[in-house]
Amino acid sequence: MASSTFSTAERALQDRRTRQKEVKRNAWAYVFVSPFYLLYAIFGFFPLVYGLWLSLHTWDGISPMVFVGFNNYIKLITVDELWWQAIYNTIWLFVVATIPQLSLALSLAFIINSGYVRFKDFFRAAYFMPFVASAVAVGILFTSLFGSQYGMINFVFTATGLAKYFGTEAGECYKWAFMSNNMGCVIDWLQSALWLKPSIALIIIWQWTGYSMIIFLAGLQSINLELYEAARVDGASTWDIFVKITMPLMQGVILFQVVTSIIGAMQNFDIPVMLAGGTQSSAPGGTDHAGLTAMMQLYWSAFKYNTGSKSGFGYASAMSFILFLIIVVFSFTYNRANGQNPTEN
Amino acid sequence: MAMNDKSLSRRRFLRLAAAGLGAAGAAGVLAACGGAASGDKPAAEAPAEGNKVVVDLTFWWWDGNGQIWADAYNKLNRGAKVTFVNTPFADSHDKLLTSFASGSGAPDIASLEIGRVGGFTAKGGLADLKAAPFDGGKYEKDMVKYKWTQGSTADGRLVAMPWDIGPAGVWYRTDIMEKLGLPTEPEAIEELISHTKGKKWEDFFAFAQTVKEKSGGKVKLVSDAGTDVYGGALRQGGEGYFDGMKVLIEEKATRPAQLAADFRKQELDANIGWWGADWAAGVKNDAFAAMVIACWMQGGLTKDQPQTIGKWRVVPAPEASYNWGGSFCAIPEQGKNIEMAWDFVQWACCSAEGQNAMFKPTGVFPAYKPAWADPLYDEPQDFFGGQRAFRTWANIADNVASISRSPYDLQADDIVNAEMAKVLKEGKDPVQAMKDAESAALKAIEGATP
Repeated sequence: MASSTFSTAERALQDRRTRQKEVKRNAWAYVFVSPFYLLYAIFGFFPLVYGLWLSLHTWDGISPMVFVGFNNYIKLITVDELWWQAIYNTIWLFVVATIPQLSLALSLAFIINSGYVRFKDFFRAAYFMPFVASAVAVGILFTSLFGSQYGMINFVFTATGLAKYFGTEAGECYKWAFMSNNMGCVIDWLQSALWLKPSIALIIIWQWTGYSMIIFLAGLQSINLELYEAARVDGASTWDIFVKITMPLMQGVILFQVVTSIIGAMQNFDIPVMLAGGTQSSAPGGTDHAGLTAMMQLYWSAFKYNTGSKSGFGYASAMSFILFLIIVVFSFTYNRANGQNPTEN
Repeated sequence: MAMNDKSLSRRRFLRLAAAGLGAAGAAGVLAACGGAASGDKPAAEAPAEGNKVVVDLTFWWWDGNGQIWADAYNKLNRGAKVTFVNTPFADSHDKLLTSFASGSGAPDIASLEIGRVGGFTAKGGLADLKAAPFDGGKYEKDMVKYKWTQGSTADGRLVAMPWDIGPAGVWYRTDIMEKLGLPTEPEAIEELISHTKGKKWEDFFAFAQTVKEKSGGKVKLVSDAGTDVYGGALRQGGEGYFDGMKVLIEEKATRPAQLAADFRKQELDANIGWWGADWAAGVKNDAFAAMVIACWMQGGLTKDQPQTIGKWRVVPAPEASYNWGGSFCAIPEQGKNIEMAWDFVQWACCSAEGQNAMFKPTGVFPAYKPAWADPLYDEPQDFFGGQRAFRTWANIADNVASISRSPYDLQADDIVNAEMAKVLKEGKDPVQAMKDAESAALKAIEGATP
């Protein structure tokens, strides 16, 4: 057995030698891949670690940093109600906007991919179009559409006569609508707590469905057509094909979409800011902070309220790590729930 | 041959570009390592014009009209060339803050809005304009007093030079008044609603009622009780919700909130929120006849609602004169040419010439009092249909309550505005709302005292 221990040590040494030789032999390859790692270290890894360090401090950006341990986290978790309201809003938007958006995108992709549709390229481009628009342009467009007194949507409600169902026959508007000067009962999309979140959700769905659809479409096109043909021969209906062949084979694409969507939804920022970012006479998030997302609260804490120990860069960093944890938990849970892959049985 | 030339020049171009990139990268790394080191570069590198050395300065402001100052100043050839950068409002302040945190990236001349200035005077990063090489102390007597205090730190350094103030009043449209059979002359309207004739908010309410009745409810006096009534009434008690660390929300905001709630309840406003697409459409559709706002509105209206030029008149507000908004010029310490930046600031903010060059086309009203002596202030203004409105502003500016600013203003503003939204949109009791706002502020802002 002595020879065996010797040979283990020998082998380890040899391994190390081969590894060193390998490194030397591939030196140039390492040089060529180094830009990514250097850039990642500077712009990815360092900010991450520094953010974690920052979250243990109070810092307004200029004065010296003060170490406070886990106080930022404790404050956030125990006393900051607004932060939890922002988290609630963010998750609400994820459920009401992102889930329908993904379902819609998958259905659309399936329809466009099937043989029933002509002008596929046109539809693909048309659905993708909103994704290309910048958030500011989208914001301007939708603030005019959602305008309460002169908005296009309310105008359509009035013009089509639908608006008369917004109030009683006596002319009293229902609680969820209000009386406009020139249009009767209409909906205050952006300034009432009730409608602000649905308005934001609508825009998210409008903007992101096309993008998700394109990704799904790419996934669908990689499925072997023979599977469909075989299923048809066996007498499967379209629904059966969708559920029993398409869905299982799309698992990977769906997983990618769900995880990136969770990350995106948790960092929802630009659209809510454009619609309810707070002006000189309103608070960020609109009435009752209904449109205040976690990222908004984070940004406001870091850059606008950066004084005192319940705001500033340290406090905002702590927020970002809580957000990070939430993203991890959601993604992990989805991954777990998705663990039983039907194709593997 | 031609082909050959092109490819040669292209190759040369690429080589130059690569060299340039490398150099820029190296400079970037150096700057990141020691921000101060790169600051002492000799000015000799700057291009010379005639026998004068010209340095480049950048000036940030959140209004496209900043170009007016850059152009006028550059024409004078004082030794610096100012490049104006139109930075969005949020960026003007947030980016400045990040540039302080990172040690580079600040402009040579920064603009600070009154709502944000408290957050900057409480910290470092801006040069003390009273200490060498600056001599800003000499302008103290010429500036509107409270403005000077706002730009100073607790220990007496001046880090933000007063630029403009916002004397506010009631603006109204003569065309709408005429259509409703109401008086159009400023003297007549002043009799009805202005504090100079002893009128109170109650009289303003009565006038709003008249407008509503005369138009059959189609036209309201103002667009939004939250801005036109609350915004005015609150500022008459002096802008700002803090006195040191003492929260004054309940004390200062309760009555203004009650007024606004009443106004909304009686449906005297058009219920159109300010600053958005709806508001702009409201102006175009004659939904409201007046607005209670500051002089700086002139610039925006000239640009966005040119059809209303000549139809506006302005009279003092009910109850008292007040100030709304205004800004400061500041010089970040990290700038490379702080002397020339100071030259620009003195010309722009502390001279009648610079101040009035901006004021005349935009209504951005000088905090520098000697500027008001200019004959310009007694000229009839086309924008105001020939009214001598600039004198009206100057008279208002002379009589406003002092304003205290604190680093917590922005947060307090947002807290109060959130409650105001509940009052106006959901009918919450204004007294309770301001009680809640006060306790929310005490909770959210560490060290705040009741």
